[in-house]
Amino acid sequence: MTDLALMTAPSPAPVATRAKIETKNLDFYYGATRALNNISLQLAPNTVTAFIGPSGCGKSTLLRVFNRMYDLYPGQRAEGEVLLDGKNILVPGLDLNLLRARIGMVFQKPTPFPMTIYENIAFGIKLYENLSRSELDGRVEHALRGAALWNEVKDKLDASGLSLSGGQQQRLCIARTVAIQPEVILFDEPCSALDPISTAKVEELLDELKAKYTIAIVTHNMQQAARVSEFTAFMYLGELVEFAQTTRIFTAPEKRQTQDYITGRFG
Amino acid sequence: MMSLYATRRRRDVIIRVLCVAAAGFGLMWLTLILFTLLWNGLAGLHLSVFTQMTPPPGSKTGGLANAIVGSLVMTVIGVGIGAPLGLFAGTYLAEYGRHEKLSFYVRFINDILLSAPSIVIGLFIYSAVVVPMGGFSALAGSLALAVIVTPVVVRTTEDMLRLVPDQVREAAAALGLPRSLVIRRIAYRAARTGLITGILLATARVAGETAPLLFTALSNQFWSLSLSQPMANLPVTINNFVQSPYEYWRQLAWTGALLITLAVLALNIVARLLGAERKTK
Repeated sequence: MTDLALMTAPSPAPVATRAKIETKNLDFYYGATRALNNISLQLAPNTVTAFIGPSGCGKSTLLRVFNRMYDLYPGQRAEGEVLLDGKNILVPGLDLNLLRARIGMVFQKPTPFPMTIYENIAFGIKLYENLSRSELDGRVEHALRGAALWNEVKDKLDASGLSLSGGQQQRLCIARTVAIQPEVILFDEPCSALDPISTAKVEELLDELKAKYTIAIVTHNMQQAARVSEFTAFMYLGELVEFAQTTRIFTAPEKRQTQDYITGRFG
Repeated sequence: MMSLYATRRRRDVIIRVLCVAAAGFGLMWLTLILFTLLWNGLAGLHLSVFTQMTPPPGSKTGGLANAIVGSLVMTVIGVGIGAPLGLFAGTYLAEYGRHEKLSFYVRFINDILLSAPSIVIGLFIYSAVVVPMGGFSALAGSLALAVIVTPVVVRTTEDMLRLVPDQVREAAAALGLPRSLVIRRIAYRAARTGLITGILLATARVAGETAPLLFTALSNQFWSLSLSQPMANLPVTINNFVQSPYEYWRQLAWTGALLITLAVLALNIVARLLGAERKTK
């Protein structure tokens, strides 16, 4: 029943302030180790929310709860609630494949599949839709344009996805994610393996993508968080220390820890 | 300070000489074996080797046609049974059963099987298949080869799939791909050349096995393609001929040994080329 409900998005027209994703008292465990402690926050639709904090603070872990990526590994479990359009996605028996079709993810290291550039994009689309060749061509082009990669690859769509440069590979991964039309996209340090020019391209892309998608991004680069996001969450040792509008976090943080971290005086 | 440095340099030279000498020693035997085979085998390598049957004792004509075909048939059937089994089991170990206790035991038993003397496997098939079926047969020979192929393919499959980074699996799962598709369309594809290489190497391994065929397929002096009958094959034919007093038989044994060695060499080269292709990609 829940699965079916999840499948038949979109949900009734949300109030402007209604959260796309909301966590309530979320705890997370790696075996016996608690990695997240009582996290409650809301991601507003069509915004970019940045997660910052020192390594090991739990920000990537939190991201991997949103699409239940942790389910791939035994011994990892989440407690509490994570609501996607008001429906708890932590309930047992939920169809994870349908969930992940709605919540896409882009990883730190570019991970093109071992196939051609065209197939890298078409592969995901074909999972969910039965399209004619020309429709599929159109969708692939649309996705590649959406990831600002079309002009660079349009003449070599049959080349291996692995033959692209790191920055191009990462945009290919973004195109692949966008191609299946998710509602939320999670970015886990998407630029940490990229040079400054590729980083700038991905950041521009984030700005365009938020018109259609709700975006969460984990980053170690505080300037990046300041540039791309509307809201910023500062995490430390598995706790959500402060969560507010980005301008506020970077100009007038309420907590001493946040202030210390963003000014580099931490630890 | 300078003496310390000089000592270190001297040690470096000694170690390097030892390494090169050891490598040369190993290579020398391989060269000698190949050279001896070529020297003795080439002399008997005529077209008739491929067209005529194994000769009766004392005959001055005849070839290895039935033995060559028999070896091919049993190797193909053995690999045909063993390779899929190995692929499935290896996939279980690397993918589905990665965190299961069962995998630990399967891997342990597989390692034992991997190093089991092939004569033991021959004896096992003898008592498990030959005796109940009431006689030696090509089928029993193929099964014995399959038992040798399987653990090799299990091991290479698991190793090759484990080389596929987990990040790629996560990325595929993040698109909403079910587990079976992640394995079939992504992991297999990424590991494809490695998987094929593993099967080729397993084929090379069984191509020259004698012991498991001695008690199972036996051999056959005549042409036979029946799986329920004894079947001629190169290793056992070589084994029989080389011990005989007949000059012509011994010549055929050398030629047969050369053929097997060349076949194994070819399989290894193909496997290497595939491996090299993967690296450049």
